[in-house]
Amino acid sequence: MITIPTSNDNSAACDFFALEGTIDAHSEALLMAIPARVKHPVVRFDFTNAGRINSMGVALLLRCFKEIRSKAEIRLEGLSQMHAMLFKMTGVFLLATPVERKKEAAA
Amino acid sequence: MKKIAALFLDETDRADWEATMSEVAELVCLTVDGNLASTLDALLQSGTDSEPGVIVISAKLYPAVYPELVVRLRALCPGAEFLVISRDGCAPPLRPLLADRIRHLTISSTAEQPGDERLPEVLNRLARRRPWDTTSCLKAGTTVHSFELSCSDDKERVIAKLERVLEGQGEEMELLRQKASLLADELLENAMYGAPRADRGTPMFTKGAKREMLPQEIIVFSFGFDGEVLALDLTDNWGSLEPDQVLEYLALNADGFQNADECGGRGLFIIWRFLDQFHVSVQPGRRTAVGGRLHLASTLDPTAPRGFHIIKEEIAA
Repeated sequence: MITIPTSNDNSAACDFFALEGTIDAHSEALLMAIPARVKHPVVRFDFTNAGRINSMGVALLLRCFKEIRSKAEIRLEGLSQMHAMLFKMTGVFLLATPVERKKEAAA
Repeated sequence: MKKIAALFLDETDRADWEATMSEVAELVCLTVDGNLASTLDALLQSGTDSEPGVIVISAKLYPAVYPELVVRLRALCPGAEFLVISRDGCAPPLRPLLADRIRHLTISSTAEQPGDERLPEVLNRLARRRPWDTTSCLKAGTTVHSFELSCSDDKERVIAKLERVLEGQGEEMELLRQKASLLADELLENAMYGAPRADRGTPMFTKGAKREMLPQEIIVFSFGFDGEVLALDLTDNWGSLEPDQVLEYLALNADGFQNADECGGRGLFIIWRFLDQFHVSVQPGRRTAVGGRLHLASTLDPTAPRGFHIIKEEIAA
């Protein structure tokens, strides 16, 4: 799994992390490093390229989001049907809000 | 086959299940109609030759209306297996079932949906004390693929094989593949890292760590797909999962998410919710089998409660 941080988007200052591949026990170091990198009141997580997320991955996301939530609002983008079902049943949506991805502004 | 008794709240409740249970042989149906004592008397009188082998209890009756029902029934029929039946959308809370050691719950729709359990089959299996396995969930003649794991790296290879067996176009197949790979992941992780326990019950391996199977350790993952139904089964020879522990984990995760990231057994909870039917069979200290079935066209909502069958197998002396 890799994350790509950026500091803002076109509309408001925010932090952005794109998650890729399988999210599981091997993602611990990356996910646990994210909270310290959050500098803005809004954090966007993009799951478009995230694959399977197992129970250990869910546990790590919950831990990561709990730490961030005290200082920023968390928005989740690019969720697949599987991700949405999984997050709903495991309480992830109590910490982070799923949002529709904004269409790219015309160049 | 042992006799089956079914207890309902009233005639309306009984009528609701009549068609579903019409194929069940050796069935004695009783309605409580506000008088539990006389119903229990009638139950005893109906079994003058032998006590029922299986007692079916409508969720309209238990646990909300008669929370003491199972305790009283166990005193009368100590050898019976108990099955709670519920309609979709009004499943009972798990905590009372856990307290009363209920190990079988079937939740079904009034009009049968893909993924629903067929109650006559469930009762036949319970009455004969036969655990579920991969073959029993699939059409006759379906190929069952089995893999014995030798190291943790086998996990991704086995999941890839499962995905290849589920090749096909369309949203349903894509969703089935995604559910299947997550189910396989959880089953394999539980067997490789959850099941192996040291003498004091502490886990022997850390999740995600590379490991080889121990010389006496046997972990076998089996699956089959008959074109409509996917059946999965993971067997290990640790037998370290206690039947009550399974329901405890499900209840813990279903209760709420106040301490969500501290919850144990989340993997089992995910397996339970993503399968249409969830089966656990344990021979303590010898063998644990966890699995179930999932229909390609399943309309069951993974965020809603499921039924379960948790069996503690007797070990012949």
